[in-house]
Parts: sequence; structure tokens; C-alpha cells
Amino acid sequence: MLEAMQRANIYSETLGPEQFGIIQKPLTLPEKIYNQSWLRKIAILVVLAAAWEIYGRWLDNPLLVPPFSEAMRALVEDVSNGTIPSRALSSIQVLLIGFTTGTLLAGLLTVFAISTRIGTDFLETMTAMFNPLPAIALLPLALIWFGLGAGSLVFVLVHSVMWAVALNTLAGFRSVSMTVRMVGRNYNLNGLRFVGKILIPAAFPSILAGLKIGWAFAWRTLIAAELIFGVSSGQGGLGWYIFESKNQLNIPEVFAGLLTIILIGLAVENVVFRFVETRTVQRWGMQS
Amino acid sequence: MASGATLASKSALPGAGGIKAVSTGSSGRAAADADPNQPLLDVRGVTIQYKTQRHLVTATYRVGFNVLQGDRFVVLGPSGCGKSTLLKAVGGYLQPTEGEIRLKGELIKKPGPDRIMVFQEFDQLLPWKTVLENVAFPLKTTGTLHAKAAQERAMDYIKMVNLSKFAHSYPHTLSGGMKQRVAIARAMAMEPDILLMDEPFAALDALTRVRMQDELLALWDEIRFTVLFVTHSIPEAIKIGSRILLLSPHPGQVKAEINSVPRGQENSNEAAALGREIHEMLFADQIEEAPNA
Repeated sequence: MLEAMQRANIYSETLGPEQFGIIQKPLTLPEKIYNQSWLRKIAILVVLAAAWEIYGRWLDNPLLVPPFSEAMRALVEDVSNGTIPSRALSSIQVLLIGFTTGTLLAGLLTVFAISTRIGTDFLETMTAMFNPLPAIALLPLALIWFGLGAGSLVFVLVHSVMWAVALNTLAGFRSVSMTVRMVGRNYNLNGLRFVGKILIPAAFPSILAGLKIGWAFAWRTLIAAELIFGVSSGQGGLGWYIFESKNQLNIPEVFAGLLTIILIGLAVENVVFRFVETRTVQRWGMQS
Repeated sequence: MASGATLASKSALPGAGGIKAVSTGSSGRAAADADPNQPLLDVRGVTIQYKTQRHLVTATYRVGFNVLQGDRFVVLGPSGCGKSTLLKAVGGYLQPTEGEIRLKGELIKKPGPDRIMVFQEFDQLLPWKTVLENVAFPLKTTGTLHAKAAQERAMDYIKMVNLSKFAHSYPHTLSGGMKQRVAIARAMAMEPDILLMDEPFAALDALTRVRMQDELLALWDEIRFTVLFVTHSIPEAIKIGSRILLLSPHPGQVKAEINSVPRGQENSNEAAALGREIHEMLFADQIEEAPNA
């Protein structure tokens, strides 16, 4: 039955392009605008700000929720009179010290871990133990050991950065392919030269991911630690600025402080790390 | 696995093969080599064993052969004959449990830039370096040449594999065939005593593979390097090789060491006959093994 079905060839006439009204037409301006994701996101922010403003005015209790305009006024004022920039700077200084120290220690620990088996065990045990422990929980101990001041902050920051970076770096080193390793050894690379010229670049996507996690941990830990005591050498950071403003019932300033923290966090994650990513792992086609 | 008796009875072969290689090979190339009686690479009675999680595996059993200056020496065998393992031992990545491997009379103990490997995998190029940087990298890190000279030599070899246009591209933008060409350029730029190629064209599509084989032979015509080439493809072995070592599987033992057809006659009747002969040898081995398995 099936073989009996003979199908004829089918040919059909196609219409010329002049027969059609629209073949390709540019989108209308509103359609183009709506296709931009950043514009849509800004629209969301505008709506949220408006809702905040309306709620603040309706509530009429600046001690609980000051309107958006009040918070912005406080932000602009404290940025222009230099309070917020100097507080942010002192936070960032401590952060950079802690972040750099933590990263360097993580590097040492990882090199130790890949060169000896006991080193691997050590790193694995330590990360398993300390990774679930929020760094901020060590602050009371740090205060006893290092006193009120930058020392304690750096200690908790190092702790928050080190394990995340070490764990990711070790995972990155381990995932470097056998072929690349053999290529490195073929050129007589060993020891630290092998680590520097082969392992670190080959594991860079993982290392970068570790640095991003480490940064996020450190930033959150720092603000939390500053909220608890904050003053280091007479000049507090952003966390302390928030805490101080709350004590003085300057609630718009509290919101201004929160906004600053969000802005700095966004800037580092979307500008600094983004920049490094496009220059390295993206250019190399290694983005995982 | 195979009994001790079988192993012992076959162990006579490698020695015989080795002697044959010296006697036939040295006559033709005596002029080029300073000491024609000393082979460039001397593999003698090499047994390689390695441990997996559960087993101690014997990859090769008393394999021996000599590679002379300018040889295109192909190690051919089915999968599981330990040919890649053997190449890694020549590369210095593995130590033989028995026997010895000598390059220019020196015992091979560890990897070194006098034997550059070209792998099958495309990820052998360093993705964070451009083509030029990849080719210049070994020249610089081994201290063979200084930055400027390394760049120049790298550029020469990139030109030789017809990739000048891509010198500043990153590897991930290249096709598989181009990546392998960069790897070959990188290996040859080091001008090693011997090139070690581990099925470098196996992961390429059929058309590209044929072109790469032609290009490799054209490069050999130009530079006359010495290469130890591992493959499981009989036509590739006949085309690439000047001499072919045939390994039997589980564990790898020398089945034969034969001359290939002359250069450029890979489509002749002789080549076809040689292909059939090799095929029969490999095929006979399978029948032999079947009752044991």
C-alpha cells in the first residue's frame, strides 16, 4: 500500500518583493526603548523610589521612614560636605588591607596545598571548618586579641576572604587539564615557576570567582563589624556612620549610608571585576 | 591476563626488531649522522607498568626500537597497546619499570625541551596567550632565546604553518586544525632533538586530517626533523612513516618493525599491499586473543 503512494513534484510560484508592503521595517521608537534592559531597570527603580516617597509622606514619621527625597537630600549633603567620602575611604582602606592580606595568605596556603599531600589535607580541613563560620562571629575574640582598632577589623576580613579564595584557587588548580600540565613540564617548568606561568593563568577563571566571593564576604563583614564598634583611630567607616546617625536619630542619614554601601558594592562588582573579566577570561575564551 | 609463558615466548621479538632497525637504517643515512652507529633514540626492553585505583596494569612489555636522525618513526597499534604510554615514557613523564630509554646516549629521567610533545587535545595551547606568544613561550621560558629573537623565530615557524594572519589571535578563535598547526609550530620552533606526536590529527575531521598530514610531510621535506609519531590509523602510519613499529595490545609488544613505502607513494599498490599486511598482523592478533578473553 505504501509503495503505491506516488507523490508528484511540487513547484510553486513565489511573489516578487514588490508585492509585499512590509519586508523589513525598523521598530518604532517606543519598541526600541522598551528593548533596552537597563532602561526597564531604571524604570523599576523610579517606580520604587516614587512608592517610597509617597509612603514616607503619607506616614509622615521621619523617624521611621523618611521620604526618598529626604534620604537623597542627606546623601547629597553629606557627600558634598565630605563626610560620606571620608567615611567610605576609611572603610575601603581597611577593606583593601584585609582583602590583600587574605588573598596573599590564601595564595601561600594553596601553593602549600598543591605541593604536599598534608598541605591539601590541612587546607581542606581548615576550609571545611571555617567556611561555615561567619567571620563576624570571630569579632569578639579579635577585640580581645587586637583591641579596638583596625587590627581587629583586618583580622576578621582576612578570615572572611582567605578561605573562599583558597578553596576556589585549589579547585581551579586541580581542574587544570593534564595536557596543559604536561606542556608546562615539557618546558622544564617546575616549582613556583610552574605555578606562576601555568597553574595561575590556567586556573584564573576559578581564582577570579574566588576573589569575587571573597570581596563580597569582606564587604559585608566589614560593614557588620563597623556597626559593632567601628571607630578605628578616631575615624569610623560607613558602618559606624550609619550607627552614629541612628543614635542621633538622623534617619535620612542612615538611609544615605545604606545607599552608599549599595553603590560602592555595585561599582566594585560591576565595574572593577567586570573590567578584569573582559580583559582576561573573556578575551581568552575561558569564561566558565 | 596473559600467562607468563606467552609473554616469555614473545619477548624474543623486540630484540630482533631492534637489531634489524640498526642494520637497515644506518646504511641509508650514514652521511647525515656524525656517528651512524649510535641511534638518536634508543629504546631497549622497555616494560611500563602503572597503577590504577584497583589494578597494576602492564602497558608495554619489553619493547625495543631505535630511531635514527631524520626518521619519521611511527608507532602503530590498536587502542590498549600502550603506544601513548610508551610515548609518555620517551617524553620522560613515566619511568619504565624495566629497560631503558636513551636519547643521544643520555638516559631519559624527566621531561625536557629536547623532546617536545604534540598532543591530540586542542587544549594543549595556552588559552591566555596569543598564537605568537604560545609559540614564543617555550623559547623564552627555557632560556633558548631572548625576547626579541624568540618572537622572530616564532614568527618564522608560524609563517611555515601558514598562520601569519592569526599570529595575534587567541587560541579559542581558531579551528581545531589551526590549533594543531600552532602546536606543531610551537614544537618545531624549539628545534628539539626529536618531536613526539601523540595522535595529533585524531580529533580532526577527515578532510582536515589529510591536509595536515600533507603539511607535516611538506615541513619534513623542508626541515628534516626527527619525529616519533603515534597513531592507530594504518593509512596514516603508511603515509606519515618512514618506518613503522607495530604493537600488539594488552600488553603492548613489538609485533614487527617494517619500512613504509617511499614518500609520496601512499596511494600506490605497494602501499595497499602493505596496508593489508599490517591489517592481517593486527587481525591475526585479535583471533589469537579471542579464546583467552
